[in-house]
Amino acid sequence: MKMSRIISIAWGNMKQRRLRTSLTTLGVVIGITAIIGLASLGEGFRLEIRNRMQQGFELDILIVIPGSFTTGLGEFEPQEVSRVRNVSGAASVAPLMTLPRTRLLNEEGEPLNALTVAGVNFQELAQMLPERLAPLEGSIPSAGENNTIVLGYKACFLNESTRLVNVGDNVTVQFGAAPYNVTKELKVAAILEKSGTSGITNFDYWAFIPANTTFSLMKREVYNIILVKVSDVEESEEVGRNVEAVFDNPYSVSVLVPLAFMRQVDRILNIVQIFLMSIASISLLVAGIGIMNIMTVSVMERTREIGILKAIGAKSRTVLTMFLAEAMLIGLIGGLIGMLTGYGISYGFAYGLSNLIQSQQSSEVAYRTQNPERLSINPVFSPEWTVIAFVFAIVVCVVFGLYPARKAAKLDPVNALRYE
Amino acid sequence: MAKILEVREVQKSYQIGKIAVPALRGVSFDVKEGEFLAIFGPSGSGKSTLLHLMGGLDRPDTGEIIVDGDNLQKLSDDVLAELRLRKIGFVFQFFNLLPRLTALRNVELPLTIAGVPERQGLEKAASLLKLMGLEARMDHRPSELSGGEQQRVAMARALVNSPKIVLADEPTGNLDTKTGWEIVQLMQRLNKEKGQTFIIITHDPHIAETADRMIFLKDGLVEAVKEAPRRNA
Ligand SMILES: Nc1ncnc2c1ncn2[C@@H]1O[C@H](COP(=O)(O)OP(=O)(O)OP(=O)(O)O)[C@@H](O)[C@H]1O
Ligand SMILES: [Mg+2]
Repeated sequence: MKMSRIISIAWGNMKQRRLRTSLTTLGVVIGITAIIGLASLGEGFRLEIRNRMQQGFELDILIVIPGSFTTGLGEFEPQEVSRVRNVSGAASVAPLMTLPRTRLLNEEGEPLNALTVAGVNFQELAQMLPERLAPLEGSIPSAGENNTIVLGYKACFLNESTRLVNVGDNVTVQFGAAPYNVTKELKVAAILEKSGTSGITNFDYWAFIPANTTFSLMKREVYNIILVKVSDVEESEEVGRNVEAVFDNPYSVSVLVPLAFMRQVDRILNIVQIFLMSIASISLLVAGIGIMNIMTVSVMERTREIGILKAIGAKSRTVLTMFLAEAMLIGLIGGLIGMLTGYGISYGFAYGLSNLIQSQQSSEVAYRTQNPERLSINPVFSPEWTVIAFVFAIVVCVVFGLYPARKAAKLDPVNALRYE
Repeated sequence: MAKILEVREVQKSYQIGKIAVPALRGVSFDVKEGEFLAIFGPSGSGKSTLLHLMGGLDRPDTGEIIVDGDNLQKLSDDVLAELRLRKIGFVFQFFNLLPRLTALRNVELPLTIAGVPERQGLEKAASLLKLMGLEARMDHRPSELSGGEQQRVAMARALVNSPKIVLADEPTGNLDTKTGWEIVQLMQRLNKEKGQTFIIITHDPHIAETADRMIFLKDGLVEAVKEAPRRNA
């Protein structure tokens, strides 16, 4: 018997029992909707998180800090910095010294809104982080200009409307325990653009002064952060190990590798995704059991019909195929509809979610000067998941249809004909 | 004339719980090609059981059944199905049409199973329904047909594959006398015109009388064989 005829007969049987077929198919639709919806939303969510994380920290920059969480933080000697500069895989290196116990005052004696004051080599840092050190006003000082200061955007404002300093103003640095025995006058050379969302290198509340100035304030030449830009992001873990190897005592240094962190987060998101998908798959299994149940009833109802088919000369295999074709069609149709509804629902859901988040953010948005990054989850159409879900639907239906179909195929024709 | 069917020492019993109920207790006879054979006997004598065995729907416990040279014992289930499809047509007392299908589709069904292309199959089915005088009823479902019409559809279905043997189990059992006679006459006409072998089970002695030969079955044994006087094979 030709497959096409078997399928058309199966289709006729299904049409005959329209309500029953629809309800059975609905189970599959729900299962596939859940799988596709979760897959595409989850993937979109994951991409969004990855994007955000990439914006939060530059993936190609390793942050090297002295000491460790167990031994406490220390300082880097200049010769240690120069050893880091020679590490293979490091494209550029910028050491920083953040000053403890430091206040910045404007010309009126009002304190600036700077949380961190760091001694840097301006040009070195600007080259490494051109976007972070983009001046909104003024310009980044060149190497020779020692008595200058560069301020982060928010460091210059008391609140939204009250500005504390302008480019060209003098700023007083007070250093050390009160009554601030060490002071220094610096000229504001540049005010930086706003960095936006906080990452670990958000400079909005930072102030940068020349490294030499920090040394003279502290009366020694030390650093407490080294930024290492790697030439190849994918090798950043290896470069991190190279940096660690430069130090004699592995506890005297900690290297933060953003890529490793990202990978870890990615892994976690992956596990969450798989977990959600397995829950969704359960609904498909439930649908499969529904199919098994309905088909078993159907085989019983059609016992006589099966007997007739066999008496006429249908082989067991033909009867088996006929019932499996029904299961397969349910999987096929349920899978197709489920795919459409799955993507439909995930797009609808994502749209609603983005709107919700945007309206929550709007107050914050007004405060920002330039393009705020909005959270937008775009469901991802994944051809692989589509195919997997579709095949899964059919496989589940056929597997659960196998038992009733075999039951039908094995019916003894004489008994089946006697069946009332 | 050649033997189309041989029944050799066939025994068959049904297991009901732990008790074996004998239905056939050693039945032997031959059927010649083109013969019109009636199997006659009281209820429970094993007629239907015998017919099912001859049609390869079931297997005997012991003994042999040879259909057109094939020993059914030696055939697999699939080959038996194939044999039913190609060489045997069944007609049942309760018509056994598929209620969902139209008369035409019911008749086409064996051709579908045989893999005959749809158009060709429908043509063949239609021509048989015409032969049965049902050209006006082709698109009716069984529930929309009278008993006699349903039985004629069943006959068309049994004949559509041009089987060598037609096995009918009380084909007139559910019909009034007049309609029953019409069916029997139709069978006899086909038997004469096409030379197909007919084996029919009947309770009706008048119908049994019209056959070439009558086998009288009782308690699972052949009690008597009666040759019709009107025809000497
Ligand atoms: N599937 C079965 N299971 C158990 N016993 C059966 C089965 N089929 C037939 N029998 C028994 O076998 C015997 C012969 O049955 P069979 O149906 O062949 O009789 P029959 O001659 O066709 O009777 P009827 O004229 O009433 O149709 C009966 O005693 C019957 O009860
Ligand atoms: Mg009977």
